[in-house]
Amino acid sequence: MLVDALASETYRLLRNRMTVFWSVVFVPLMFAVGGVIYHLVNKNQGDAAAAAAGLPTTGAGSPLNLAEFLTFGANQIANGALMTFMLIAAATVYAGDYRWETWRLISARNSRTALILGKVGTMKLLALAASVAMLIAAFVYYLAQALVFERPPTFSLGAAEAGDAALIWLLSFVRLVQYGLIALLTAVLTRSLLAALFVPWALGFGQSILGAPPVMMLLKLHPDGWPAQLLMPGLAYDTLKNLVSPGAARVMSTEAALWPALASLALWCVVPLGLALLLFRRQDLSKE
Amino acid sequence: MTAVIETRGLTKTYGAVRALDGLDLTIPRGGVYGVLGPNGAGKSTLFRILLGLIRPTTGEARVMGGPVNEVSHMRRMGSMIETPRFPPYMTARQVLRWLALEHGIGRSTDIPHWLQRVGLTEAADRRVRGFSVGMMQRLGVAAALMSRPELVILDEPTSGMDPPGIQEMRALIRSLATDDGVTVVLASHQLLEVQRVCDRVAILDKGRLVREGAVSELTAIGERLRLSAGPVERVLEVLGANGSRDGDAVLADVSRAEGPALIRALVERGVDIHEARWVGADLESIFFTETGAVQAPETIHAG
Repeated sequence: MLVDALASETYRLLRNRMTVFWSVVFVPLMFAVGGVIYHLVNKNQGDAAAAAAGLPTTGAGSPLNLAEFLTFGANQIANGALMTFMLIAAATVYAGDYRWETWRLISARNSRTALILGKVGTMKLLALAASVAMLIAAFVYYLAQALVFERPPTFSLGAAEAGDAALIWLLSFVRLVQYGLIALLTAVLTRSLLAALFVPWALGFGQSILGAPPVMMLLKLHPDGWPAQLLMPGLAYDTLKNLVSPGAARVMSTEAALWPALASLALWCVVPLGLALLLFRRQDLSKE
Repeated sequence: MTAVIETRGLTKTYGAVRALDGLDLTIPRGGVYGVLGPNGAGKSTLFRILLGLIRPTTGEARVMGGPVNEVSHMRRMGSMIETPRFPPYMTARQVLRWLALEHGIGRSTDIPHWLQRVGLTEAADRRVRGFSVGMMQRLGVAAALMSRPELVILDEPTSGMDPPGIQEMRALIRSLATDDGVTVVLASHQLLEVQRVCDRVAILDKGRLVREGAVSELTAIGERLRLSAGPVERVLEVLGANGSRDGDAVLADVSRAEGPALIRALVERGVDIHEARWVGADLESIFFTETGAVQAPETIHAG
């Protein structure tokens, strides 16, 4: 039953090409194109400055390790732009049946639990596709850097770097799914596509304000403490990402925040999904 | 008689409104079953409960021998409730594929066959956002039938269709029951259509069952012999209180058993009989009698 729901939901989403484009392709494409332009402009400005100073223009630079794109790309997956555009897909998948009045068509063909879990599974696949697209965009960014600045490309990936990149990717993937689950709960509660789009977005935006150090100080919240972490899943994500990131970012969060952050990330996935399932199983689907 | 649908004391209230009021209904397997009633009689509420879209306030409903909402039972039925809506960006073919996947019959469904059967072959690859109400209805019917269900529930299946479409839909519904052995349960406001296509009907009013039975039995009640015979005065004289004028003819209020004797008596009294046929009450008059609904006058006089 769940396999049927997943196959059906994925089939339907893939027919909706506009949604797939905006949620999966658009931001990575802009990122890749923007990256190429950024490198070209930088190169031109560098060359112009060098020419003005009577220095030789930049020639072949130091080798560039293309494998770094993995960590760089994984760090970009849960950025504000991609998450905002992913919400378009989340709202369409989770609230589309209310908008198009199609629950009555499909609810007689599968169990309500399978229908919801099929949608969640489809969103996971979409988040996976978006994260892969973002990694590809990051690779293009690095490759363009190597080509524009004439830096010989190398590829060296140690186990530690691969592990760091994988953990950051996993955290970012969970963050995307979690954001979608908030859209799911909103869709079931409000039966509105617009609400499913804007409520999670407003929640994310609100957190970015709440999470600012002056506001945290004003609210007497310690960023590593349980209340702040549980209240703000975005902060929990940042904390965990800092803890697994190599270099300077690792010292930005303390180990004391690990468990509150993990609990927050899990809670903000389980609670919206559980509540949505509970409500949906008893919902009157004749009113859409 | 095996039942495909059984309700016992089925009640659904919306605030102070009782949409269904202790409905006891048994729909037998086989044939076409019509559920009739004026607006607000509880037809759509009944269908929505049977399809698990809403829960009853009290009472019980069983479909295919099991409780509603049990997927194994639900998958043995097809349905179309009111005018169906579809994601507008999909074509008719894609809609059927999508629903077939949801039903767990993605690979085994012959989608071109069902598109052809509801007359949508030419529109198969058009996006449904440009479909008329009638085309949506056809696609909804194809979606209900493509899983080859044992029971099909159709709410107003001919709504929005043109006369040829209505005729095609009637033929399709009859062939489902007679050729494919599917039990069809439908609700319609078009009483003539229901009389033509249904084997049995239930008439609901204010959420209660007010009449149930085979269409042939219901229309046989009040059956009379219509005689085109002359002279009319002599026919009326023979019939006495059992006769009444019906235009140029006479309606004789006699039973089928009494019919031959009446004909003989009229012939013996020198009456010329041009035509004699049994006429029953039509479903429309039964409907208005049972529901107390006001029948619109047939002729509107100007001035």
